[in-house]
Amino acid sequence: MKKFLNDPANFVDEMLEGIYRAHSQVTYVNDDKRCLVVAKPKAGKVGIATGGGSGHLPLFLGYVGDNMLDGCAVGGVFQSPSADQMHEVTKYIDQGAGVLYIYGNYTGDIINFDMAAELADIDGITVKQVIGNDDIASSVVGEEHKRRGVAGIFFVYKAAGAAAANGLSLDEVTRLADKARANVRTIGVALSSCVVPEIGHATFSVGEDEMEIGMGIHGEPGIGRTKLAPADDVVDQMMARVFAELPAGEGDEFAVLVNGLGGTPKEELYILFRRVSQLFEAKGSKVKYVWIGEFATAMEMAGASISVLKLDAELDPLIAAAVNTPFFAHYKA
Amino acid sequence: MDAIRADDLIGLFQSWRDMFAAQREFLIALDGKVGDSDLGITMSKSFAAAYDTVAAEGAAAGLTKLLRSAGAIMAKTAPSTMGTLTATGFLRGAKALEGKDVIGTAEMAAFWRAYATGIAERGKAKLGDKTILDVLDPVAGVLEAQAASGAALAPAMKAAAVAADAALEATKTMVAQHGKAAAFQEKTVGLQDAGATVGVLLVTTMSEFVAG
Repeated sequence: MKKFLNDPANFVDEMLEGIYRAHSQVTYVNDDKRCLVVAKPKAGKVGIATGGGSGHLPLFLGYVGDNMLDGCAVGGVFQSPSADQMHEVTKYIDQGAGVLYIYGNYTGDIINFDMAAELADIDGITVKQVIGNDDIASSVVGEEHKRRGVAGIFFVYKAAGAAAANGLSLDEVTRLADKARANVRTIGVALSSCVVPEIGHATFSVGEDEMEIGMGIHGEPGIGRTKLAPADDVVDQMMARVFAELPAGEGDEFAVLVNGLGGTPKEELYILFRRVSQLFEAKGSKVKYVWIGEFATAMEMAGASISVLKLDAELDPLIAAAVNTPFFAHYKA
Repeated sequence: MDAIRADDLIGLFQSWRDMFAAQREFLIALDGKVGDSDLGITMSKSFAAAYDTVAAEGAAAGLTKLLRSAGAIMAKTAPSTMGTLTATGFLRGAKALEGKDVIGTAEMAAFWRAYATGIAERGKAKLGDKTILDVLDPVAGVLEAQAASGAALAPAMKAAAVAADAALEATKTMVAQHGKAAAFQEKTVGLQDAGATVGVLLVTTMSEFVAG
């Protein structure tokens, strides 16, 4: 292991200290650095909270800011935060209009967010939930509820954040977030493993000449381990699965996120996007919004994921809306 | 005791606290066979915190408020799976008893039914998965039958405790489907489930409390 560390046990808390020193836009509540919230919540707005394990920056806390999320409960590396931390975040960000939880489909996160919602209910705070399940490699069609949540949650955050900023009700924000969730698909490919600081060695291994399509962002098994192929072939294999679920026809419009998993240069991400764009073009579809970079990582894992959101008249302006957060800023398209 | 009132409930939490303190090492060892050994710590910590909370609030807070406060403090104190499930049970039980001042046999049945259902939902467990649900579901069933036949609280709880023991014995034949124990699969056959053991301890202590 070769990492910038002091004591591995302080990995998350020291990271958070850096975050607070760098970004005055966010702060924390209940004297607990792991309860991250916007410094200035907007009165009357539906609050949006997320949460999950550390090790995925910019996910999850990086999207807390103007017109996106209002709070994030931060867990240890690849571990769920506690229900109590989520509850504290909920209490702070509730402005009387209720709170929406948006998080990924993992057992530990679900049990704790459910518990937090139950505690919030006792306080008289209405909580709704939308659980990201965009990873098409993690379960088959018909079993979507078993799919993991990965980078595509970015689009759910963006849609919900814009809807809440527009002053919509909790029911409407929830409906739009769920619509984004239902229309986004992600597939990833891993080229190498990652190292959890407190463990100190690679979680698994991927051979020098191998890749694994569909591997999860904690190293969960994917669809299959194969020989590394040329970039265009890798994209063709990945996108064939996406198009099978999100058909792209003449005149259809999409938003695309090409996400690096932590150890892959941006240059390579653009080589991947080149091919993604060609495939949409060949189908007569338009890629209206594109983001390329690191949005949801797995420590230093080399690899990438491609997330595709099918747009419609309702989702389009929400995805176009301006946001400003510590890890992501976007001017209105 | 023919019914549990708010001041009795504080005494009951004291009994639960003392019992889990006494069973701490036993539960640590039992959980250590296929789990991560934290169960004894989780339960003794959560019930100590719950007793402190209900004692501080006092009987004047009312029955359901005390149950809710106990559940909420448990969720804070022990954010492990079993701590969260136990907390959920108390919160759901409190909800089921909304508006009641006393727990007689019918209310006891409603409490444990809500407790079991809450745990099943939160833990996504079904009967036969070798969990605490495999004890609490028959307990609720026995109490519902006792309530239907007009039984008094003490004999009804006695019957529930007997059913809990038998149900725990039956978990030995099951294969664990949840938590860290699930990784051991067939090796869990023959072992009594640690979570289900907690269920028996809760019900037995409650039965002894209403009998005494």
